[in-house]
Amino acid sequence: MSEIPILEVKNLHAKVADEDTEILRGVDLTLAKGEIHAIMGPNGSGKSTLAKIVAGHPAYEPTEGQVRYLGQDVLELDPDERARLGIFLAFQYPVEIPGVSIANFMRTAMQAHLDEGEELDLFDFQDQLLERMELLDMDPSFAERHVNDGFSGGEKKRNEILQMAVLRPKLAVMDETDSGLDIDALQVVANGVKKLHAEDPEMTVLIITHYQRLLNYIQPDHVHVMVGGRIVRSGGPELAEELETEGYEQFRAPA
Amino acid sequence: MSVTTPGLAEGVTEQINREAVEALAAEEPGWLRERRLEAWSVYESTPIPSKKLEEWRYTDLSKKLSLDELSLLPWAERQFSEANAPSELRSAMASDRAASGHLVELDGSVARVDLQDELASKGVLLTSIRSAVQSHPDLVEELLATEAVPAESGKFQALNAALWTDGILLHVPRGVRMELPIRVSRWISEAGRALFSRTLIVADEGSRVSFVDEVLSPDFTRQTFVSSAVEVFARNGAQVQFVSLQRLGRGAFHLSQQRTLADNDSTLDTLNVSLGGSVARIDLNAELRGAGANSDMLGLYFGEEDQHFDHNTRQDHRAPHTKSDLLYKGALDGRARAVFRGIIKVHRGAQQTDAYQTNRNLLLSNEARADSLPNLEIEADDVRCSHGATVGQLDQDHLFYLMSRGLPRAQAERLVVMGFLGEVLSRLPLGGVVEKVSSIIEDRLRA
Ligand SMILES: Nc1ncnc2c1ncn2[C@@H]1O[C@H](COP(=O)(O)OP(=O)(O)O)[C@@H](O)[C@H]1O
Ligand SMILES: [Mg+2]
Repeated sequence: MSEIPILEVKNLHAKVADEDTEILRGVDLTLAKGEIHAIMGPNGSGKSTLAKIVAGHPAYEPTEGQVRYLGQDVLELDPDERARLGIFLAFQYPVEIPGVSIANFMRTAMQAHLDEGEELDLFDFQDQLLERMELLDMDPSFAERHVNDGFSGGEKKRNEILQMAVLRPKLAVMDETDSGLDIDALQVVANGVKKLHAEDPEMTVLIITHYQRLLNYIQPDHVHVMVGGRIVRSGGPELAEELETEGYEQFRAPA
Repeated sequence: MSVTTPGLAEGVTEQINREAVEALAAEEPGWLRERRLEAWSVYESTPIPSKKLEEWRYTDLSKKLSLDELSLLPWAERQFSEANAPSELRSAMASDRAASGHLVELDGSVARVDLQDELASKGVLLTSIRSAVQSHPDLVEELLATEAVPAESGKFQALNAALWTDGILLHVPRGVRMELPIRVSRWISEAGRALFSRTLIVADEGSRVSFVDEVLSPDFTRQTFVSSAVEVFARNGAQVQFVSLQRLGRGAFHLSQQRTLADNDSTLDTLNVSLGGSVARIDLNAELRGAGANSDMLGLYFGEEDQHFDHNTRQDHRAPHTKSDLLYKGALDGRARAVFRGIIKVHRGAQQTDAYQTNRNLLLSNEARADSLPNLEIEADDVRCSHGATVGQLDQDHLFYLMSRGLPRAQAERLVVMGFLGEVLSRLPLGGVVEKVSSIIEDRLRA
């Protein structure tokens, strides 16, 4: 008997809400609990769109197909409801929220994850936040900075992983977390993700990336190639190496 | 609608007239009586500003102010007792414990004054202006409605100078540095009235003081006109912070006319927070008249329903090496409306001046509206000036980002708004003010 997959995307078609052009043109993807998957593909192939639709971004409109999370159709759920069910997206381009400190943001988010009537223990939270920052080799003062405000590219990406570490999702989608990171930061982030996965082996990770770099540190169970809004090939980790040497040319669909 | 009786000057009514001024002045010293009557003459001969004037373009007084329906609130001896105070006033004061002194004004009459003994013995004076006319006539005669906000400044400045009933005088002698703020709580309860109050702050050389003025009232069913004239003097090297926290109820028309005069190497910062009232108009003129003077001018407003806020600011640089930095930020919900009109004027000879001006608005509904009119007039050549204005809406990507971490939409909005406004408060982090203003706005966002 097979377990219900944590994520099941079936024949997903999608477009930008007030435009006609289809971006996703029939995506099929299944992730079992605890697995690590990678999606690779050229720029503009629809990887971020897929990630944002899974997280519930209102700018994108699914026109056909399904997204099931632990068996539940989530396309009608608001982004915050999905987050509280355990879906997390590490953004390719995190936005700046001036005036809101990371600590305040995370405290509010943690509180939102609790049941109604339950109060977050602030001391506990503080300890956890510090511990998670240590895991990612971050200075404690980082928590007082305003969310992404004036951050370097690398700081933004690290901040995404910090949030992931604090919120402990069941499904983490990491959209090009490796871009903008130097090799040291990349190692810190990769080790952080590996530790999170070790803490909770049921956590499922979907890594979206351009390059093989990050996959040298976090070995995926499955690799998928996305081109033109579809998954055109799936395989094991060796597929990533193949792509690294041969590029995506072989998959370019004739127009 | 303001219908004026034929044959009478504009704004003269059955209540607001020369007899009222004479009655007020009856027992007062000659100089004051004369000053009031002169102010009245200015009032009479000045027309009510119409929308045709640039400064009043967005606030149509013929629609927003009904002078002839207002009655004057005569001065009366009032006592403040905590037990009998309205709950709004009590809770406002409860969070103000740490203070150098506290003054309570009830319906236009100063009802209690407390000042730390140690400061009193150093010569700090915190008192009602009415009693200072007797106790410190020289100071009052020299500075009340003369240099800073004289009757000649305009129609309503003249009206206030003619009809003020009481107010607050704070004098900090040379070199006295106060660690904790002076807090003023003003409560207005009578609907349909016109109230005229003044604030005069004089910080002598090298002194330091911060002053928080909070004005509150219940909602009114009839228009209530609250006029405040604020005069602040920072002598050489003094450091002054003036904070106005306006929390009037609906139905109130708040008119606050402020002028700050900063001498050599002084720092004179202001923060105007407008949360209440149906109409709130602030005229603020910061004059940097001594070399090396510095003024931060901060403003924050939060409007909803049909609230109307109009800010009219002026940064006058008259001396070299002066700096002013203005930041006004507001969020508007419902059909609320905000106007910001600001002028930086760098006078000839005010070389090596830095003058900045920023107004940012966040619209939380489709019907809210903000107009922003920054302006520069520069007569000197060696200056650094900038001005900027924005009117924007909540960004969907910001909300999505926060929601994707589990925050419900309303909470995400709250966080973005508080973050947006928080920048202003963080620039003048005075004990208690940040917490108080934040929690009021958060409560309103929650409602
Ligand atoms: N908000 C949007 N508005 C218009 N076009 C968009 C939007 N988001 C994505 N697209 C288009 O959809 C395609 C896929 O984009 P994206 O999902 O970001 O690709 P990837 O992440 O693989 O680089 C691109 O052609 C892009 O221009
Ligand atoms: Mg992308």
